[in-house]
Amino acid sequence: MEPSASAHNAGDAASPDAAPDVHHKIGQLTRQLHDALQELGLAEKLQGTAGELPDAKSRLSYIARLTGEAAEKVLNRVDQAKTQHDHIGAQTRHMIALLVADPVAAVAKGHIMNFLTDLEKANSEVDQHLTEIMMAQDFHDLTGQVIARVVNLATVIEDQLVELLIQTAPPELQSRVSPPASTAAPLSVDDVVLSGPVVDASQSTDVVTSQSQVDDLLASLGF
Amino acid sequence: MANPRFLVVDDFSTMRRIVRNLLKESGFADADEAEDGVVALQKLRASNFDFVVSDINMPNMNGFQLLAEIKKDEKLKHIPVLMVTAEARKEDIVLAAQQGAAGYIVKPFTKATLEDKVIHILKKAGLA
Repeated sequence: MEPSASAHNAGDAASPDAAPDVHHKIGQLTRQLHDALQELGLAEKLQGTAGELPDAKSRLSYIARLTGEAAEKVLNRVDQAKTQHDHIGAQTRHMIALLVADPVAAVAKGHIMNFLTDLEKANSEVDQHLTEIMMAQDFHDLTGQVIARVVNLATVIEDQLVELLIQTAPPELQSRVSPPASTAAPLSVDDVVLSGPVVDASQSTDVVTSQSQVDDLLASLGF
Repeated sequence: MANPRFLVVDDFSTMRRIVRNLLKESGFADADEAEDGVVALQKLRASNFDFVVSDINMPNMNGFQLLAEIKKDEKLKHIPVLMVTAEARKEDIVLAAQQGAAGYIVKPFTKATLEDKVIHILKKAGLA
């Protein structure tokens, strides 16, 4: 929004004196917030949550990457399958023309056999494309797990901010507010213990990054 | 065994369909599914299955708990359990092996990986 001319003028007129005052007020607010958090014992708690935010950003980037790759894979496979489909269509029309013109020659010269061989090969390749398109849908499972974790983090932040709001409410409002019952599902032990998909393997040394590493680890255990 | 019966356990219906379709493409068309460990145990106790393919991170009863329940049940403990999961921590893989999992696949995986593991486990268990 463009500032009005009058506001502009007022700001210009006030700026030499106003700037130090604004700066001072921001400093005071920052100090008050810091002291309040310390007194409430919430600083550490919020600090912990803030520490998880980069992880949440990393998880959202992971979702964007995975869904992008899945879409790319599906579109590439569809392109390839459609090209083969068009080729088979053209070949079929050609075979029909040959059969109509001279059925005996079409068989005797091997046109029909060659066509059927091509058809079987194309059928197998299209089947592979369909399998890959199906496999690309696994992003739903992987991103779903990651989204659940990000939503959980958002819920934790919301709960902490509500707690902060209640504790800092004026005395006359304190009796009228109470912590709202959380509508989110309670965290299960599984959510705490299990870590879900690895969104950035370079940040961790205790995870495997390929199936061959899984197999090697199991082999080292005698499995 | 010519036609082993599979139970596919995963809380995401998409993944259950993918695994069932892949099993079917590999020649194993006889499969049922369950959305968590609780439902899986109910189905395992109510009917005969030869092979379990299970996710780990699931609500109600996770894959580790399901594996433990299967292995302490005299009637079920012979059933091979293949874990198919996004959990890629080494300690999870070691835990699964210690609890008696027959194999461990990390998502995302390929059709060839699933087929290889299933056939290997079936042979090892004398089911193929």
